Amino acid sequence: MPRKRDAAAMDDVGIEIDGDLSDSDDGVAKRRGNRRQAGGRGAAKGRGRGKKADSEDEDEEEEDEAPRGRRGANKKKPAKKRGGDDDDESEDEGPKRKRGGGANKKKGGKAQDSDEEDSEEEKGKKGKKRGGKKGEKEEEDTKGKKGDAKGKGKDKDDEKDKKKKKKKDDSSSDSNSGSDEDEEESMSEGEMAQLMEEVEEKKKLIANIRNKPWRMGRRLTHLREAQQFVDKFEGALGKGKGRKWYAYKVMMTKKWIKFQRDFENFRTACIPWERKIKEVESHFGSSVASYFIFLRWMYGMNLVLFGFTFGLVVIPEVLMGLPYGSIPRKTVPREEQDTAQDYSVLMDFNGYCKYSVLFYGYYNDQRTIGLLKFRLPLSYLMVGIGTFGYSLMLVIRTMAKNADVGGGDGEDGEFTFAWKMFTSWDYLIGNAETADNKYASITTSFKESIVDEQENQKDENIHLRRFLRVLANFLITCSLGGSGYLIYFVVKRSQEFANRDDLSWYEKNELELIMSLLGLVCPMLFETIAELEDYHPRIALKWQLGRIFALFLGNLYTFLFALFDEVNTKLEEEQSIKNASIWAMKEYYANFSRMVNDSEATPPPMNPADVIRGPCWETAVGIEFVKLTVSDIQVSYLTILIGDFARAVIVRFLNYCWCWDLEAGFPSYGEFDISGNVLGLVFNQGMIWMGAFFAPGLVGINVLRLLSSMYYQCWAVMATNVPHERVFKASKSNNFYMGLLLLVLFLSLLPVVYVIMSLPPSFDCGPFSGKEKMFDVVMETIDLDLPAFMGTLFSYVANPGLIIPAVLLMVLAIYYLNSVSEAYKNSNMELKKKMQMARDEEKNRRNNTDSTNQVMKDLEDLLPNRSLIPPAPPEPEKPPEPETKPTKTKPGSAGKGVNLQKDVALASPNPNTRGPVSRPPAPRGGGPGPGGGRGRGPPPR
Amino acid sequence: MGSRASTLLREEEIEEIKKETGFSHSQITRLYSRFTSLDKGENGTLSREDFQRIPELAINPLGDRIINAFFPEGEDQVNFRGFMRTLAHFRPIEDNEKNKDHTASEPLNSRTNKLLFAFRLYDLDRDDKISRDELLQVLRMMVGVNISDEQLGSIADRTIQEADTNGDNCISFNEFIKVLEKVDVEQKMSIRFLH
Repeated sequence: MPRKRDAAAMDDVGIEIDGDLSDSDDGVAKRRGNRRQAGGRGAAKGRGRGKKADSEDEDEEEEDEAPRGRRGANKKKPAKKRGGDDDDESEDEGPKRKRGGGANKKKGGKAQDSDEEDSEEEKGKKGKKRGGKKGEKEEEDTKGKKGDAKGKGKDKDDEKDKKKKKKKDDSSSDSNSGSDEDEEESMSEGEMAQLMEEVEEKKKLIANIRNKPWRMGRRLTHLREAQQFVDKFEGALGKGKGRKWYAYKVMMTKKWIKFQRDFENFRTACIPWERKIKEVESHFGSSVASYFIFLRWMYGMNLVLFGFTFGLVVIPEVLMGLPYGSIPRKTVPREEQDTAQDYSVLMDFNGYCKYSVLFYGYYNDQRTIGLLKFRLPLSYLMVGIGTFGYSLMLVIRTMAKNADVGGGDGEDGEFTFAWKMFTSWDYLIGNAETADNKYASITTSFKESIVDEQENQKDENIHLRRFLRVLANFLITCSLGGSGYLIYFVVKRSQEFANRDDLSWYEKNELELIMSLLGLVCPMLFETIAELEDYHPRIALKWQLGRIFALFLGNLYTFLFALFDEVNTKLEEEQSIKNASIWAMKEYYANFSRMVNDSEATPPPMNPADVIRGPCWETAVGIEFVKLTVSDIQVSYLTILIGDFARAVIVRFLNYCWCWDLEAGFPSYGEFDISGNVLGLVFNQGMIWMGAFFAPGLVGINVLRLLSSMYYQCWAVMATNVPHERVFKASKSNNFYMGLLLLVLFLSLLPVVYVIMSLPPSFDCGPFSGKEKMFDVVMETIDLDLPAFMGTLFSYVANPGLIIPAVLLMVLAIYYLNSVSEAYKNSNMELKKKMQMARDEEKNRRNNTDSTNQVMKDLEDLLPNRSLIPPAPPEPEKPPEPETKPTKTKPGSAGKGVNLQKDVALASPNPNTRGPVSRPPAPRGGGPGPGGGRGRGPPPR
Repeated sequence: MGSRASTLLREEEIEEIKKETGFSHSQITRLYSRFTSLDKGENGTLSREDFQRIPELAINPLGDRIINAFFPEGEDQVNFRGFMRTLAHFRPIEDNEKNKDHTASEPLNSRTNKLLFAFRLYDLDRDDKISRDELLQVLRMMVGVNISDEQLGSIADRTIQEADTNGDNCISFNEFIKVLEKVDVEQKMSIRFLH
């Protein structure tokens, strides 16, 4: 019966070690307690008493120590022998014992000795310190005690000697804890340094373990190992002079770590709207929450853009630029002045609005303004370009980060339900409302998992499904093509109409009508067609988003088309006005000089309101964008108010007096339209990016919109909507949204860059007036402000001979990186497959016993009285038993058994943990008597 | 060691509790004052009603189970020692926890003991197995009436199917450990007691 004996041996050993350890442990604990008390913990109550008790304890403990050690040693011996002939046992205990044994044999009880002395010393010190801290009366007391302790210590030495001899007699015996402490105490300086290094290394490892590209298991193993190592030797290091300093350092590190954790908590608490979003998420699932998270992200980005625009453009202009009314571009023209303050005019962003900092035209073309010589035109251009640069960078970085997250634990669906079952409740919830949310969220997450599960288990007619999907895509392509053609046709017609005057109301508004009709009908059509495909709702959402996006592109295209038309006409118009204005100016001067008849006198400047001015197409474009944004805000808010809120109110209250059940039947409550809202947000952002250059105030308006939208929509969704029928889990990364955003960003980047690089700016408004191209500002700065060689440098850089190779290089780099990432992806897949295979194999191996089990079970079913038969046949169960048995028994002893195995296993693979310690201390190999080799302590008494 | 109505805790008692649970002196005194404030009957023991007054437990779907965990089998009073023994499961595993004594009897706050505590919450009939019925009960408490019974049943089945490795349609403690292997139990099942 090998196994039984094995278990018995283990038990024995366990108990022995147990007893021994808890004892020595006590010592440590008490010492620690002392230290704490010495630090002046207990303020008033029971201080004296506690101290006295402590000191008594110390004494007792010391007296106890010797016999205990003997006893432990004696008892150890048989246990070890038994362990020796038993493989399992020696495997568990082997390393430690060997290590301890080795050390012990060499240095014997000396180490023990030094330990005790050390502790004595320490106590002495403590005593002094305590004395210093407390009053005189107590000082006497402690002094007495100290003397006492010293005396005892002397007695002790004798005892220890004896003990040492005993130890040498039965040299093979040792106790685990004793040996451990021995090792710690008996180290030379060099070893100390080495150990210190190692401890530092381990600490570093602990700090960085999160970043290590390891699997979780390995990480945990290493972490545990490192922590054990550090815990074990950290204390040992400090013995001696540097101890206090070291302890202080350790304490400060811990404080610092705690502070960092608190700070992290604080930062989490500072994330705006986290609770709101969580609330929505708990009721509507992660898919709806993903929209709000996207909205929040957008808000953050716009806030930064707002900071740039206002900090570098608007505020300098307001503070340092010329005031309103000083020059023509900052003044409302005389013919408009009467109506400039009318509400309707202001709502169209004309009148005073048009000639304000909100728009491009207000900015002056002075090279520098104010005392600070702030280069406003340059700053304006840089902010315009920087807006795009920052957005691009942010979107791409977020995408990369999300991709990282998505790859990590996205498909790790091993114990989804079990985890949800066992770990979902948050035990710190003490608020009824929060608890309700938590209930809802647990329910939702279960529902999400069920949907996923159903999707996985769907067995289907693959051919029919394929056919249906192809059909659906065909239909949708047809309708997209149709609507595209319709838009094209309508745009063409509207251009024709533009030249005619006799237009009916329909003909005037045909374009807008058709566009909004398409936007209304097509999404619904797509949704209906998508039913055919029967995708998982998550994937279906992506398709839906992509399709509506394609449709909306038509919207964008018509808008831009109309805009460029307008700009072109304005440019032509401007040319003539420019001439007229110059002519008028000359005329004015000529008239002035003729009337005054004094060619020397400078004429008073013309009233800025009277100057003939150009159409300023940039401001016109800006107004167009602002109007569009504002109307978009109005429409979306009204839609929510009417489509969701009014509907919900009607359904809720008319239900009492209606023929059929409104809540369950036809209108019912609205669902939150994720695709529509996300696309609305994306396109709105596109408008902002395009318009921000022409209307710096637009960013501010957008920030306000996003802010209010967050509260408004959160309220609306909670108050008026119902969760989707099939709540589904959003993919962890919002990368699809981000991808759409990136596309829109690129699309909106194009026209703006085109404008900056190649259209001539208006001659009399805006920061670039008087230049050929807006971009010339940069050239001018290079020429005038930077040293000359920079100019030549730039001209070299701009040389096609340099640009083409650079572009080539970039293309090559992209190609290379792409192929590398492809290779990584492949190997990743390979590894995932392998992992899955290993997992399956393990499961199979376990279930092999199970399969026979199943047969047996079937047999049992046939038997009449099932309940009398033991549920599982014992034979196949046997193999895994040794593992399972200990844990199934009593918790205390069981856990120990398991832990014991695990710990040893953890400790063994790393050679470093044992490295410095298992080695016999070289310099002291043939060392002198007890305490001789202890270089830093006081000389032996 | 009986319970005492006195508000002061004797030093020996503290020492013993310290030894048993690993709490520090100040933590024990602090928790003792908490204990007495919970003790409305002022007889040195806590009853189930005393625990029910804690809002966190009253709301918790598993609150009854947690409260049960404080009481030894068949008793409905718990004294301070018992109270501390249960709380010790939630003591964080400190970095400086003396690691020399791994072979010693495991402290109450070890990972295994924490898990065992959690396991007991689900193991209603204390047969060291979580059966389907027990899971269903817990599920009903956690999600209420929002999911149909059929779906609840399938959730329970799935859970067992995921976790069960020896095919007995129950979750044993070993399987439970396996399931929660990657969950940071040490951190999740820890309360930061004030020092």
